[in-house]
Amino acid sequence: MEEAVRSGIRSDPSSVAVRTLGYGVIGLFAICCLLPFLLVLGTSFTTEGAVQKHGFNLWPRELSVFAYKIVFENPSQIIGAYVVTIGITLVGTAVGLFLVAMTGYSLQRPDFKYRNGISFFIYFTTLFSGGIVPFYLLVTQYLSLKDNYLAVLLPGLMSPFLIIMMKSFVRSIPHAITESAKIDGAGDFTIFLKLILPMTTPALATIGLFIALGYWNEWYNAMLFLSPDVKYRPLQLFLYNVITSADFIRNSSASSNVPLKDVPLETMKMATAVVATGPVILFYPFVQRYFIKGITVGAVKG
Amino acid sequence: MRTIKKLAMALLALTLVIGLAACGGSSGSSGETGSSGGTGSAGSGSNSGGDGKIDTSKFETITYVVLGDKPTNGQLEKVMAKVNAIMKQKINAELQFKWVEWADWQTKYNLLLASGEPLDLITIGTDWLDTWGNAQRGAFLPLNDLLPKYAPQTYAEIPKEDWEQSKYKDDIVLIPEDHYTQWVNHGFFYRGDWAKEFGITQPITDFETLGKYFQGIKDHKKDVVPWDVNGTNGALYNGFATAYTDNIELPISTGYANVFYAKSYDERYTVDSPIFNDDFIKFAQMMKDWGDKGYWREDVLNYKGDTSAELQAGQSGADQHHTQTFKGLRVTMDQKQPGSDLQMFAFSDQRGNLVSMPITHGGTSIGAHSKHPERALMAYELIRQNEEVYRLINYGIEGVQYVLKDGKRAQPPGYDDTRDSFYSDFWGGRVDKFEIPAVTDWDGINDIYKKYDKIKKPYPYGKFVFDKSKVDAEMTAITQVVGEMMPAILFGKAGDPAQAVNDLRNKLKAAGYDKVKDEIQRQLDEFKKQDQANGA
Repeated sequence: MEEAVRSGIRSDPSSVAVRTLGYGVIGLFAICCLLPFLLVLGTSFTTEGAVQKHGFNLWPRELSVFAYKIVFENPSQIIGAYVVTIGITLVGTAVGLFLVAMTGYSLQRPDFKYRNGISFFIYFTTLFSGGIVPFYLLVTQYLSLKDNYLAVLLPGLMSPFLIIMMKSFVRSIPHAITESAKIDGAGDFTIFLKLILPMTTPALATIGLFIALGYWNEWYNAMLFLSPDVKYRPLQLFLYNVITSADFIRNSSASSNVPLKDVPLETMKMATAVVATGPVILFYPFVQRYFIKGITVGAVKG
Repeated sequence: MRTIKKLAMALLALTLVIGLAACGGSSGSSGETGSSGGTGSAGSGSNSGGDGKIDTSKFETITYVVLGDKPTNGQLEKVMAKVNAIMKQKINAELQFKWVEWADWQTKYNLLLASGEPLDLITIGTDWLDTWGNAQRGAFLPLNDLLPKYAPQTYAEIPKEDWEQSKYKDDIVLIPEDHYTQWVNHGFFYRGDWAKEFGITQPITDFETLGKYFQGIKDHKKDVVPWDVNGTNGALYNGFATAYTDNIELPISTGYANVFYAKSYDERYTVDSPIFNDDFIKFAQMMKDWGDKGYWREDVLNYKGDTSAELQAGQSGADQHHTQTFKGLRVTMDQKQPGSDLQMFAFSDQRGNLVSMPITHGGTSIGAHSKHPERALMAYELIRQNEEVYRLINYGIEGVQYVLKDGKRAQPPGYDDTRDSFYSDFWGGRVDKFEIPAVTDWDGINDIYKKYDKIKKPYPYGKFVFDKSKVDAEMTAITQVVGEMMPAILFGKAGDPAQAVNDLRNKLKAAGYDKVKDEIQRQLDEFKKQDQANGA
């Protein structure tokens, strides 16, 4: 970005206008994304009374760390959730990336006879899906993965979209490279590991980030397949539970059965959210450049 | 190279075959869920010998699906250890709760029942857990033959007409929670002390007087919102229907507010809608007036605060919920706002329009694939008929979770809520005979129950299930229209009320209101025939 600007794109009025407009719109959009988070942050540092009197505020009217005290009174839950999420993300990303890269590469090999059939097979799943009941039955009945972390790990390993993305990236690598390596006596795995993977690092970074983000934000499969009997469940599900149990008890027809007492405090909900997302936000600036690079490469080549 | 390619192909073919086989396998077991043959015993460990003795020689684990967040403070385990000591001694089994958490509970609950897992006891509710739908899909075991033998006391205790309400076709598929008094009819809680202050000496029994009360707060109580409320609260609509029309609600949900009601209790098979009643325009005008006068906050539609806490803190003059909540809130208010004399204006007070709760709002079923339904029923019988087990499961351990004070449940000295609290979310067969009132329950509630008993009508729709398959798209559209327009009308934020109500009606018409109405009428006519055949 910076270099492009400095290396002298002609700064005639129109391009200046376009750039100002661009920065303006993106800036506004960024603010829109940032505000809710600031609201959460502000609310988490205030007292419950202040929230009830004035509603949510960007700046805490009555500074207090009470909510954090409550959240950290029982930190094992949050720490456990972090460990599970980080574990699933690391393993899932490593394995998933390898599988996606391998699939993408093989499907691009012109000497692979059935590539079109299999490509269609993969592509087909993006158009039609069996729906949630068969999926649930498959995981719980046929694979017996209920209350098993694998139930969260496996479904996210390979996504058709990422395979197609990888495939189109590999297309930019001349097939001659593979062929010449073959003549030199390299096997398929050697070629893939020693030649192809190093040449596709930008794509790997992008796809890896996508997979990692997917696992980090994963809560739906965890919700379906990990019952409360599993002691530590992924972070996002943990958060979701904190918030839904409160909302449900307040607004539901079935709440006739639920005593209106143990509803988590607003501030506590917010503090939980901050504790759960804060570290990621701090970590994000360091990997952001790969993201941008990968996406632009992917976009150009795609 | 060739060989490798061949090998690879063979491997690929193999994986595909295995994959297909895995998906096709054991389809036999899911094939038999559809039918509900009236056979009792489903081939389980406890066969009964010819002498009628029940064989409990084999130790079994009975699971019980409940809804709620699993308690994590360790008390559940302690209580269950005590429960299971009794269970083991009496029926050689242990009871284990399986929790379905509130996060997306509907999906999870229905999937659990659809999955064909061997569930034993399951919490059901015909009005909120799609029980008849699940019965139709064969999720529950017919109990006709098992009940008299394995749960004789419960079988005898529940009257014939209540068993009628628990049947799908001819099979009893659930045990209703019919011996437990609870009223979930909605209304307003207001402060008796303030009402007196403003010259309202009689209990409030209509909206007009409630308006006077709100005005009094506006005039005399600075910094108090007369009624602080969330825009997500759609109870005013039900309030209108209950207080200004004879309509009674049909069990057909259209989201924020249910469009379709029955004309009245006497004409309970005729579909009607409060929205198309011209009094609704008057009501909307009144609400606009209330909104303009500031009886609730300006940003009511986006407000998300905890309104009950505000009432308790003296920042709001009213709150809106049902009688069950009032029972406990009254005592809380007496402590937090001494002398507040919290009262409840139930919507039904205005013209006596009150229908009981369905007896199948709570209940318990047995899963179609339960491996030992007999022992599951025996466990249920123990929970429902054994005082000690009942109190453990509902209240916890005496001395830890509660102590008895003048026949009421109180918290023991040194009780710490995070450390000691216990709940089991057992809503599948509570009985008044074993209930111990809590010190936090208001004594005066019985007078309210008596008032209700005088005017209540039995719930007529326990077995009516609206099949919306033919009008699914229209129902979705209607739900959307209601969700978009109704909140603003109810809280007087929709401009000219008459105009807004007419807009709403037109939009509903455009969304297919008439088609849905006709379909409901058709199904109500069917239902009427069945009802009359059963001599109801």
